Amino acid sequence: MPDQNGPFFEDVDLGDEIGPIELVATDDNVVNFCELWGNPMPNRFTSQEIAEKSGLFGPIVPGVMSMAIMSQALTDWAGPESLKDLDLVFRQPVPHNKPLLVSATITDTREEDGKNLIECDVLMMGEAGERYVGGTAIIALPSNRGQ
Amino acid sequence: MTMELEYNRDLYGVEHEAGPFEITPELIQTFNRSIGETNAMFTDHATAQAAGYSGVLAPPTLVTMLVRNVELPDIELNFGVMRFHAGQRVQSRAPIVAGDSLMASSHLKEVYPKTGRSGTMVFTVWETTFTNQDGLVVADVQESYASRE
Repeated sequence: MPDQNGPFFEDVDLGDEIGPIELVATDDNVVNFCELWGNPMPNRFTSQEIAEKSGLFGPIVPGVMSMAIMSQALTDWAGPESLKDLDLVFRQPVPHNKPLLVSATITDTREEDGKNLIECDVLMMGEAGERYVGGTAIIALPSNRGQ
Repeated sequence: MTMELEYNRDLYGVEHEAGPFEITPELIQTFNRSIGETNAMFTDHATAQAAGYSGVLAPPTLVTMLVRNVELPDIELNFGVMRFHAGQRVQSRAPIVAGDSLMASSHLKEVYPKTGRSGTMVFTVWETTFTNQDGLVVADVQESYASRE
């Protein structure tokens, strides 16, 4: 792995926690995301009126974007090529313009097919403890053996 | 008691293809901007080249945005009135780099019921495999949609 700035496999242990990393999806971020995604606007992700008609409190962050945000938090920590598997369940609508706290807890470390893998439970929460998105991630880390 | 679901089982084994999707530096840049991504491997050509790549890397979930371009048929599920995006999985198989051209192929993976405190829901899972211009599988994406009574 080039230019290693993240952790080595030997640096982490079962039960270690990553984060929480605080991120915010602004109205502008969501509009930009929907434009790129090709989802015609206005929609329940960008319009208060349409969101309310769908029974929501207001416009929400698309699940695809929540995943991108959680992925970003993990690759910020472990490195851009590290994330091998991210498996998420969207539990509650995610609001715009509010702090989103992304954290992970390491639940397994193993060597598999020559790779040093860690498995984590991952979570995106709100400030009041709302559990918006949960799931698991598998991350490959470099080893510092022999250095 | 096992729940007998009615839907079009003939869809199993049928692939629905779309593409090519050109992974341009501009596409990656716009994706980065929308989520505030600043890692130099995703944003800076020189940094990615110094690491041995021909262009900037695509963040691992960029492919999830392309899935909606695959036209998927109605599975004719005879259950529920509400349908929502319940979950998503992305498995990175190989780096995706600016300049790559990807093809997508989707198929119905499974349909299953699950009963919890809020009642029964039926989950429909589609799986999409992305392959690059060299025929290399670069990512698999699973999208799960729930139908609720």
